[in-house]
Amino acid sequence: MVSVWRTFTCLLLLCGLSSAQEHVFDLSGKHVDPFQASSGKLLVLVFVRTDCPISNRYAPKIQRLSAQYQHDARFWLVYPDKTESPAAIQRYLGDYRYKLPALRDPQHALVKRGQVQVTPEAAVFDRQGQLVYHGRIDNWYQSFGRARLAPTTHELEDAIRATRSGSRPEVTASNGVGCYISDLE
Amino acid sequence: MMPRWIPAALFLLLGLLVPAVSQRSARGNTATSENRPVTFNRDIAPIMFQRCVACHHTGEAGPFPLLTYEDAKKHAQQIAVVTGMRLMPPWLPEPGEFSFADDLRLSDEQIALFQNWVQQGAIEGTPADLPPKPEFVQGWYLGKPDLVLNAEKPFLLPASGTDRYWNFILHVPINDTRWLKAIEIKPGDKRLVHHANILVDRTQSARRKESEPGAGFAGMEIRIESELFDPDSHFLFWKPGSVPYVEPDGMAVRLDKGTDLVLNVHLQPSGKPEMIRPTVGLYFTDKPASKHPMLLQIENDAKLDIPPGEKNFLVTDDFKLPVDVDLLAIYPHAHYLGKEMQAIASLPDGTQKRLIYIKSWDLNWQAVYRYAEPVFLPAGTTISMRYSYDNSTENTANPNNPPQRVRAGNRASDEMAHLWLQVLPRTERPQQVDPRMLLQEALARHNLKKDPADFEAHYNLAAMLQAKGNLPDAVTEYQLALRIRPEDVVANNALGGALMASGHLDEAIPYLTTALKGRPDYFDAHYNLGNALASRGDFSAAVDEFRAAVRINPEDADAEANLGSALAETGHVSEARLHLERALKINPRHALARENLDTIERGSGIR
Repeated sequence: MVSVWRTFTCLLLLCGLSSAQEHVFDLSGKHVDPFQASSGKLLVLVFVRTDCPISNRYAPKIQRLSAQYQHDARFWLVYPDKTESPAAIQRYLGDYRYKLPALRDPQHALVKRGQVQVTPEAAVFDRQGQLVYHGRIDNWYQSFGRARLAPTTHELEDAIRATRSGSRPEVTASNGVGCYISDLE
Repeated sequence: MMPRWIPAALFLLLGLLVPAVSQRSARGNTATSENRPVTFNRDIAPIMFQRCVACHHTGEAGPFPLLTYEDAKKHAQQIAVVTGMRLMPPWLPEPGEFSFADDLRLSDEQIALFQNWVQQGAIEGTPADLPPKPEFVQGWYLGKPDLVLNAEKPFLLPASGTDRYWNFILHVPINDTRWLKAIEIKPGDKRLVHHANILVDRTQSARRKESEPGAGFAGMEIRIESELFDPDSHFLFWKPGSVPYVEPDGMAVRLDKGTDLVLNVHLQPSGKPEMIRPTVGLYFTDKPASKHPMLLQIENDAKLDIPPGEKNFLVTDDFKLPVDVDLLAIYPHAHYLGKEMQAIASLPDGTQKRLIYIKSWDLNWQAVYRYAEPVFLPAGTTISMRYSYDNSTENTANPNNPPQRVRAGNRASDEMAHLWLQVLPRTERPQQVDPRMLLQEALARHNLKKDPADFEAHYNLAAMLQAKGNLPDAVTEYQLALRIRPEDVVANNALGGALMASGHLDEAIPYLTTALKGRPDYFDAHYNLGNALASRGDFSAAVDEFRAAVRINPEDADAEANLGSALAETGHVSEARLHLERALKINPRHALARENLDTIERGSGIR
């Protein structure tokens, strides 16, 4: 029984990896596996949409965090809306002054692997590819239409700092406020 | 770019939509109870077309379109959540005794339909059930405006940070008085603008706040100076989804030569830098105003001193109307700590009517609410403002973390307790004293009872007393105002003017001089000082003052006529003639200029 269970787990993991490889694209349409491309660094996937006002408002912060932690973490923007064209995303990256690489995740392979539910949410993976944090960037938004003047907790940044120093983040999961990814299925 | 939404306009004209919606909702509910699923085409689209798409279509304020099933499906859960919270469509007042025009509030049945639709899998339904899609007319909602005004310089909204409040000054290039029946405000990218408000500045007083001409200036609240009794009369307000309001016949807004429109815009950063450059379209009418509404401001800012952590700080005010009025519109206003806001009218017969009730204030969705029908409030009615404030950490919008002591002020981190009412006084006899003056005087006296150190109340009371011809009391009130703000240039000039009118020329001169020290380019003060000096027989000093006045405003016939007259008195006849002729060119019927010119010409033997 034990060995069967082990095999089963292994198969699941392989499934996850293989689906990420097969169904994730960069804006030129090439398959990309961000897990391999982030070798030696933490992997931070930030899930966004071009038509989600809350994830748009986070653009300056996402860009700032990615620059601040560039030596330790590789950031990717992930677009889970299959109807968003690479050209529209490219335009959007320019408008919002993003310097991050962008991925399209039309089959939600990364959404599942990152266990995210709304845009904007982030998933942080350690150097071994294990998910260590998923959820909101910070608590700027308490709910729809209720934004604080400034956030008072910084879950994504805390998770990166903890993981980079080899410890487990205090908060490993949280719920973001934004646009539901399941509406895109 | 303000597209017209035809079904909405038809609804407003015919008043048929509300019954249609409730019928539709009822049918939807019945369908659900019969296990017929809620579908987009049959149940959801009709509500969205009526309540959501005015904003949620491309080019409008909504961040994404909701015109098709695909649009709605991509945000289905979000729609269920925000309608369930009553965050969308944005509409703050609770239903009550009086209904408002353009009410966006969803019924409980409509909200339930959204919830059920999402729970059942956001089904599209049968194409035949889909009502015709609303049509949007591109361009100006009311057709080509008579005059289009563009902000001189754009405002650069940063990508991030707190909300910004910016003021654009739009000069109205007209040579004669015109009557404005409607104004269409295009505040810039509508996705970034929460609300916009236009103030009519007849004395170009706001321009002094600009660092350079046309630059605009920052500020959440602005104060427009006015020296004549010419109270604000109309709400010129824009909020997302609003269509331009056409004033009823006889209620046009007067615009004079030299008038500025000050457009105050509340902007929210979007995540990318944005250029905001508003445009305004003006629509004129030949019909001058025959009805004169007034904006009454009930307030109690003096009571705003909210300790940190206080969850329910109450501020009230009760003002008794001295005249009969029809209440046309209402605009409650607080900043980020406002919580529950209501206004109650207690009529002389003892009945109470709730004019508005906002259970959960949200600055982001503030609006002017126009009553569907005017609300008659007889003289003797007390209007009560009842506001509460939450200065604890439980208030997400609290601009201070940790909470700080907050008092009244113009900054976003300060507070306000204002209730604006647009009232149309009922006059029985046109020759009576202007009832707006009675309102203004009563309001000033009321404010002084609450706060004897209220500068504006002393000033306004003085102005009303002066207008009624009660100069001694007017002088006293101006003096009380100046005791509070000794350097205020407008009050110094006004006191100087009142003293002159009372025959106290020598006493007037120091006040006018103080006004000019504070503002060397103050036309009125130069003009008044010129008159005071001339009346005292000091014509050469008067010439200097009138020259300064004419330099500041070359189009003022009175200043030209007085300059000409003073020059004639000092023996400079040929130059005097030039200025008198100039006065007559500006105003061919200027009696004083004509008379003095005739005198000169007779004296010089020309005629």
